[in-house]
Amino acid sequence: MEIQMRLQLDILNIKDVQFGDRTRITEGVLYINRQELQEFLKEDKRLSGVDVELAHPGEKCRIIQASDVAEPRAKTKGGVDFPGALGKQGTVGQGNTCVLRGTAVVVSECRREGDPPMQPGFPRHGRIIDMSGPGAELSIYGKTHNIVVVPRPANEISVQEYRIALKIAELKAAVYLAKAGKDLEPDEIEVYELPAPSKIGKGLEHLPKVAYIFQFIPGQFETIPGYPVLYGSNASSIVPTLLHPNEILDGAMVTPYRTMAIDVFGLQNHSMIKELYQRHGKDLCFAGVIITVGQGDERENERAAIMSANLAKWVLGADGVVLTKSGGGIPEVPLALTAQRCEELGVKTSLAITHYPADVGDADGSILFNAPEVDAIVSLGTPWNPITLPPVERIIGEPAAFPEGPPVDGPIETTFRWMKGIFSQIGNSRLIAVRY
Amino acid sequence: MDERNLQSNREFKTHRSPVLSDSDNSMLNGVRIHGKEEDKMVGKPLRVVHYLNQFFGGIGGEDKAHAEPQMKMGPIGPGKAVQGAFGDQGKVVATIICGDNYFAERIEDATTEVMNLIKSQQPDVVIAGPAFDAGRYGIACGAVCKRAQSQLGIPAVTGMFVENPGVDLFRKDVYIIETENSARRMSDVISKMVNIACRLVAKEKIGKPSLEGYFARGYLRNEVSDRIGAERVVSMLLAKLRGEPFQSEVPPPKYDRVKPASGLKDLHAATIALVTDGGLVPKGNPDRIQAREATRFGSYSFKDTDGLNPDDYEVNHVGYSPVFVLQDPHRLVPVDVMLDLEKEGIIGKLHKKFYSTAGAVCVVENIRKMGQAIAKELKEEGVSGVILTST
Repeated sequence: MEIQMRLQLDILNIKDVQFGDRTRITEGVLYINRQELQEFLKEDKRLSGVDVELAHPGEKCRIIQASDVAEPRAKTKGGVDFPGALGKQGTVGQGNTCVLRGTAVVVSECRREGDPPMQPGFPRHGRIIDMSGPGAELSIYGKTHNIVVVPRPANEISVQEYRIALKIAELKAAVYLAKAGKDLEPDEIEVYELPAPSKIGKGLEHLPKVAYIFQFIPGQFETIPGYPVLYGSNASSIVPTLLHPNEILDGAMVTPYRTMAIDVFGLQNHSMIKELYQRHGKDLCFAGVIITVGQGDERENERAAIMSANLAKWVLGADGVVLTKSGGGIPEVPLALTAQRCEELGVKTSLAITHYPADVGDADGSILFNAPEVDAIVSLGTPWNPITLPPVERIIGEPAAFPEGPPVDGPIETTFRWMKGIFSQIGNSRLIAVRY
Repeated sequence: MDERNLQSNREFKTHRSPVLSDSDNSMLNGVRIHGKEEDKMVGKPLRVVHYLNQFFGGIGGEDKAHAEPQMKMGPIGPGKAVQGAFGDQGKVVATIICGDNYFAERIEDATTEVMNLIKSQQPDVVIAGPAFDAGRYGIACGAVCKRAQSQLGIPAVTGMFVENPGVDLFRKDVYIIETENSARRMSDVISKMVNIACRLVAKEKIGKPSLEGYFARGYLRNEVSDRIGAERVVSMLLAKLRGEPFQSEVPPPKYDRVKPASGLKDLHAATIALVTDGGLVPKGNPDRIQAREATRFGSYSFKDTDGLNPDDYEVNHVGYSPVFVLQDPHRLVPVDVMLDLEKEGIIGKLHKKFYSTAGAVCVVENIRKMGQAIAKELKEEGVSGVILTST
C-alpha cells in the first residue's frame, strides 16, 4: 500500500501533428484520424457539429474565440480521466499519466447573438492565439502544435448548455489524443509525490512550511449550473478545503468558463505547485494546498478568509502561504482578506497578482486593497499592455457576428487581455508590471 | 486648459496617458519630440531656457512675489549650475523669472505668459526650478514644464521635495526629480535634471523611478523578468519568513483618507438619496455612461408610486454579472425599501432621483471628480445623507 500520493507523468515529446488514417504516434509525430475524432466529439447531442483543425508554430495562422486550452493527457494503467466531468468518478493524482508535450487542444467557441457576457467591448475575435508574429513570441501556445476543436451548438440548446459541451469536448479531445501514447516508452518522466501533512516534515523540521492558497473560482462571474469544475461539481459556493496538489495536476480540477488567464493547461502544469514541489526539501517544506472560491458577498468572504487561514495555520501547520487569485479586480478583496487573516494568525503571506488598473497610466489605482501587513506582492504583469498583431493568412474559429469590426485576419490592435497564453494568474509567466 | 476643472456636461476625463512602448520612449503625452531634430542635436548645443521664481532669479524675496514674468538673457543664479551641467551640450540662452504669487493667482494665464517668453527663444529643452519644498514655486514649475511639453513638444524637467503639492499635480505629466526640502544639494539635483533632459532629447529610455531619482509617473509597463512569477513569489515569502529585507513588486496604493461627515442628527427630517456605482441606467443608456473607465454619471428620476420597473432599466458594467439586478433593479438601488422608510417616517424624504455610474476599472482621479460633482449637486438639492450601493 502506498504511503503517499505518487503521480508519474510519462511524457512524450511531440515534434509535429498531422492528420492521418489512424490516430497514433510514430517517431514523435502525432497522427490524428480527423473524422474519428470529429465523430467522437459529435456524439454529444448538445452539438450540431465539430470541426477539428491543426495550427503549427510559425504558420501565419490565427485562432480566434479561443475559450480554453488543455494539454493532451490520459491516465494509463488505471485511474480515471477528468473524474466527474467526463462521467465516471474516480481518483486522480497517482499512478501514470501519459502527456503529449509540445501539443495543446484549443477549444474555440461559436458565439451567437445574445450570448453573454453582453459587455460592450467584447471584440468579435474573442481571445486570440497567433501562431507567428509578436503574439506567438509572447504566448506559450504560439509554441505548441495546436489541435483546434470548434464545436457548433445544436439549435435549441441554451448558451449555458453549450458552454458545458464546449468544455467537455475539449477534455474528451485531450484524452482521446493522449491515449495514442499509452503503450509507448516515455521520452521523459516527471514524478510528483508528497506525503500527507502528518507525515511531512520527517527530516525536514528545520525548513519553513509553506502552503498555497489557490482561489480557483473568482466568484465574480455568473456560474453555470452543472458546469464541471471540481471532480465534476460546480463548486461555486464551496467553503475552503484541502486538495492534494497532485489532484490539481491530474485532472480533478477543470477551469470554470471564465477565469481570465488560467486554462486547464495551466492547471495541469500549475507553476505554483511545481515551484513548491521543486523546492520541497531544499529551502522549504511544501505543506499543502488549500482551494478557495472568491465570493461577491462580504460575509462569505470573511467566512472563507477565516477558514482558509485556520486550515493553513492549524491543520497544515504552515509558517507561510503564497496566494493567487483568478478573475479580475473584485476577487482581490477575498484574496487580501484571506492574507490578512493569515497574517493575524502569524502565518506570513506573499501574493502574486496581475494588475487591473484602469489603464496603464493609472498605476496608483492598480490594486484594490491596502493592508500594511500584506506587503509582499509579486506582479504578474498587466493585461492592458497593447500589442499589434499582423495580418494572417488563415483563421481558425468563427468571429462573432457582432460588434462590427475590421476583418479578423487583418492587422489587429489589441491588448494582452485578449490573447491566450501570455499572462498567467498562477505565476506561469515572466511578465512583471514595473512602475515608471 | 486646466484639465482638473470640472466640465459642465459631467464629463470627467483626466488627461489620458499615452501608451508607452519600449522602442518609443519619446512619446510624452502623445507628442513626439521633433522627429528630424536629432540630426540637429549632434554637434550643436541644445538651446535651454530656465524658469526661476523671484527669489532664485535674484529679484527679491516675498516682497517681490508679485513680479510679472520677465526674461533675462543667459543663466541666472542656479542657472549657472544648469549651464555647468550641460557643458558643451547645451547653452542656457535665457532665464524666465516670475513671482510665485503672480503665478499662483492666475495659473493658466501666467503659464501662457511664461510660454510666450519661452517660445521666443525657440528652445530645445526647458529646465524649471528646482523648487524644493516651495509650494507655489513647485506648481509654477510643474505647469510650465507640462505646457512646454504639450505646446512645444520639447522635454521639460523640474525637481521638488516629496511634500510639494506640485508633485502630485504634475508627476504624471512631467519628470520631477526628487529633492530634499532645502536647497542644500542644488547642484546634485540639477545634474540629475539635466541628465534626464539630455536623454529625453536623445530619445533614450529613462530607467525606473527609484534608480533615476524621479517621482513615479504612474505608468505600468510590462517587462520580462528573469524568473517566472511562481518562483518570485515563493522566494519573496521565504525572505519574509527569514526576516530578510525584500522589495515588494507592487507598492501599496495611495488612497485618500476622506474624513467622514458627522452623523445626521435628525434622520426624520433628512432627505436621503441613493447613489450607485453598479451601472444601473435607463434603457438605452441615454447619457452613454461607459461600462468601464467611466467618465460620466447620470441622475434618474423615478415616481414614488412606482419604484423602479425592470422594463425601464439596464445595467452597463463589465465587472459583475447583472442577472439579478436586471430581474429587479431594487436589488441594486433599493428605492422600494427607502419609500417604505419614508412612509413610516423613519426618514424625512427619499430624494426622487438616483445617481448612477459604473465603478468598473475606473481611473481613480475621474471617479473622485465624479464623486465631488455628485456631492455638490446633492447638496444643492437639499440632500443631507446618501446611501451608496455597490457590487
